[in-house]
Amino acid sequence: MFGRNRPKPRVLPQGAGYALKLDERERALIRQILGDMRALLMLDADDLRVRRLYPAAYADDAEKEDEYRRLTHEELRSARLANVDTVEASIDAEVLTEEQLTAWMQAINSLRLVLGTLLDISDDDQELAFDPDDPEARTQALYGYLGGLLDEIVDAQLEAL
Amino acid sequence: MSAAPAEVKLPETDDDQAADRPWIVIVWNDPINLMSYVVLVFQKLFGYNRAKATELMLDVHHKGRAVVSSGTREKAELDVFRLHEHGLWATMRQD
Repeated sequence: MFGRNRPKPRVLPQGAGYALKLDERERALIRQILGDMRALLMLDADDLRVRRLYPAAYADDAEKEDEYRRLTHEELRSARLANVDTVEASIDAEVLTEEQLTAWMQAINSLRLVLGTLLDISDDDQELAFDPDDPEARTQALYGYLGGLLDEIVDAQLEAL
Repeated sequence: MSAAPAEVKLPETDDDQAADRPWIVIVWNDPINLMSYVVLVFQKLFGYNRAKATELMLDVHHKGRAVVSSGTREKAELDVFRLHEHGLWATMRQD
C-alpha cells in the first residue's frame, strides 16, 4: 500500500455530490478501458489474471471455502459489472452522486488490482521506474494513471466523511 | 489489538463452548491497495472513525495483518464479503 499526492485534485466534494474535473482525453481513455474491464470480469474466477479479485474467505477450511465461493463469486462478478455500467453511464458527467463515485472507485480499484498483479507489483512503497521501451510500458502507465485518479477519488470521499 | 471479548477458560472438551467462540475477520497486507483507500473502506464498512481506521490500516501495513471485526460466523462472512467486494484481502477464522 502506498499514498500519493497531487496539487490540483480532479475530484472535489460539491453539495451532496462530487465535481469531476476530467478533460476529454481522460474521459476517452476511461471509456476505452471499460471494454477491457468487462472482458476481465467475464473470465473464470480461477483464471490467474483475475484471481486477485476473488480472495479466499476460509484459508484453512476447504469445505467452508467451497460454500463461500458458490455463494459469492457470481455476486462479486455482477456487482463489478454493474459498477462498470455505472461508469459508462456517467462518463461525461461533471458532477457525480456519492453512489456513482463509489462505482467509479470500485471499478478503478478492481482494474488496478488486476494490472498490479500482471505487473507483479510486490514491494510496498516502490516507485515504478518508467521505461517507454519496455513492452509493459503501457500497462505501467495505465496503472500509474489509475492510482493517481483513485487517490483523488478516495481523498474527496474522506474529506466528505 | 483484539476485537474479541475476553475468554473464560473452560475444559477443552466443551464443544458447545467451542461453537460459541466468535469469528474474527483479518485483513492482510497487499502491495497494491492504496493506504488512503483502505482507511476509507474501514470507515465506510465498519463505521470506525478516522483515527481507528487509520490505526487498523497501519497495523495491516506494518504488521502484515489486522483483526478488523468479529462476531457470529454469519456476521464475519458478510464482513469478509464486503471487504472482498472492495478488493481487500480478507479472511476469517474462529478465534
